[in-house]
Amino acid sequence: MLMVTTAAAIAAAPALRPFSSSDSAKPESGEEQRVWGQAIEFAEEIRKSAIVYRDEPVTAYVQSVMSRLFPEFNGRIRVQVVQAPQLNAFALPDGDIYVNLGLLARFQNEAQLATVLAHEGTHFTHRHGFRNQQNLKSSAAFASVTAMLGVPILPQLVAASSIFGFSREMESEADSVGYERLARAGYDVREAPQVFEHLAREVKAEGIDEPYFFASHPKLKERIDNMTKLSAKAAAGGAGSSRADYAKLMTKVRIDNLESELSMGRAKSALLMLEEPEHMAGLPPYAAYYRGEAYRLRGQDGDVLRAEQAYLEAVSASPEFAPSYRALGVHYLKANQYTEAAKHLSRYLELAPAAKDRTYVQNYLKVAQKKMGGQP
Amino acid sequence: MKKLFLALLFAGAAGCVPPPARVDVPLTEALDKAYTVDLPVGWIRHFAQDKTLLASRDGFTLQTIGITHLPAEQAFPKTKKSVTEGVLPSELAELQIAEMKAETQQMAALVVIENEPAVLDGRDGFRVRVSYHTARGLEVHRVTYGVPDKSGYYRIEYVAPKLYYFDATFADFEKVVSSMRIAGGGKVAAK
Repeated sequence: MLMVTTAAAIAAAPALRPFSSSDSAKPESGEEQRVWGQAIEFAEEIRKSAIVYRDEPVTAYVQSVMSRLFPEFNGRIRVQVVQAPQLNAFALPDGDIYVNLGLLARFQNEAQLATVLAHEGTHFTHRHGFRNQQNLKSSAAFASVTAMLGVPILPQLVAASSIFGFSREMESEADSVGYERLARAGYDVREAPQVFEHLAREVKAEGIDEPYFFASHPKLKERIDNMTKLSAKAAAGGAGSSRADYAKLMTKVRIDNLESELSMGRAKSALLMLEEPEHMAGLPPYAAYYRGEAYRLRGQDGDVLRAEQAYLEAVSASPEFAPSYRALGVHYLKANQYTEAAKHLSRYLELAPAAKDRTYVQNYLKVAQKKMGGQP
Repeated sequence: MKKLFLALLFAGAAGCVPPPARVDVPLTEALDKAYTVDLPVGWIRHFAQDKTLLASRDGFTLQTIGITHLPAEQAFPKTKKSVTEGVLPSELAELQIAEMKAETQQMAALVVIENEPAVLDGRDGFRVRVSYHTARGLEVHRVTYGVPDKSGYYRIEYVAPKLYYFDATFADFEKVVSSMRIAGGGKVAAK
């Protein structure tokens, strides 16, 4: 129903010329001016919500990729990173673009990041935000969208239409025009299909019916096929395909994102990265601890043992990293292996005397020591 | 906060729970009789549609005490996690933080200020204090106590803007916490 009404509204909407440079990127009507005003207001809400990831070198790097893709829009397209592990990005009608930390962490190289930035940048240059609002406003679709989303977090129309997906036609346009941008900027376009492969894996791991970012997008499978077809004839040797360079830049991002994923209970999503040897190789030696945590949180058959092995691996690789000892201590406590529990919990308290969870650990240690008396 | 207020209005409109009322007698019993608490006299108390007991002095957008009793298997509906036997207090706190992070984009970026063991009516649990910013930039603090019991999961929370309101009635909240008596099935076997 939503698709039908939206499609009808698109057909009725007048064509708008894409912006060609920063100078030409201005609202051309009072209505468009109002939409840009909403975008500014929404960007201000994002800023005030303290959800922007504060790491200047990372933000500058992402912005530099965007500038390479859209050199004629320098100063107009501004990219920021949002502290959220979900694989998502969105563009506001005035050129503000937001990329989730999860995307940066999950991608394997700059060319994959550039694919998403080219796509989002095209939403701006082709004025999809404004066009989408016109479509939504002029139809009953908006009511359906807002009802479906519950909207309250992001009350404005601009937010709903930017974050929760453009029409199928606009998404296809952003894919194809974005792909041309990618090629023109010299990136290795053979990496483009990988972006959608990452999304498909995420959808499967988290059991998402339709990720909200792609609520009205073409099907992922269709997009993977399109991108694969487009890039099939591309010659090797494009830029941005080095995984090692990208991994170096993203080490902190990946750790921060893992902590975020695990604190939100997104164990399966975290394991998509942690079970990849190549991904693990780019992380610090103690990263096996996070794999252990992900297994513990996932809680499938055999995960208790997998978690223990991962924690032991982390202790072996990084003997001064305290959290691995706490995790092992708790693991042994729950397995009624009190001597081992006490040993590891004590070691944790030695290594992390100011830990926030010290009181918990002290309590667990007391329990383990008390129970040790009854053990052979 | 505004969302909570609107939710309250709708909850009241449904007509299946008693309407909001001024607290004249402190002793208040849960609708399912799972617990009792002493609420501060003069506050407004209200049972939401999901039977959560809410109380506020100055208005639900300014400070709210919320008390919830949930079946163990429905303790964390957003993250689809449950309270399992033998769960440790720190693990319970971890589940509660994940649940809060799943509430809104703002909550997803919450900062954990304190996370420590706590006892609620003789049951071992946790006490977590977090802060986050609303879309309008207002810093809000939230303190949550949670304990498992054979009759389910008990959670008592206090939410208020850091500016003025949090400190203004925090002591009242702690008194409510101390007064809580769980009538359920008894303590979960602890380690």
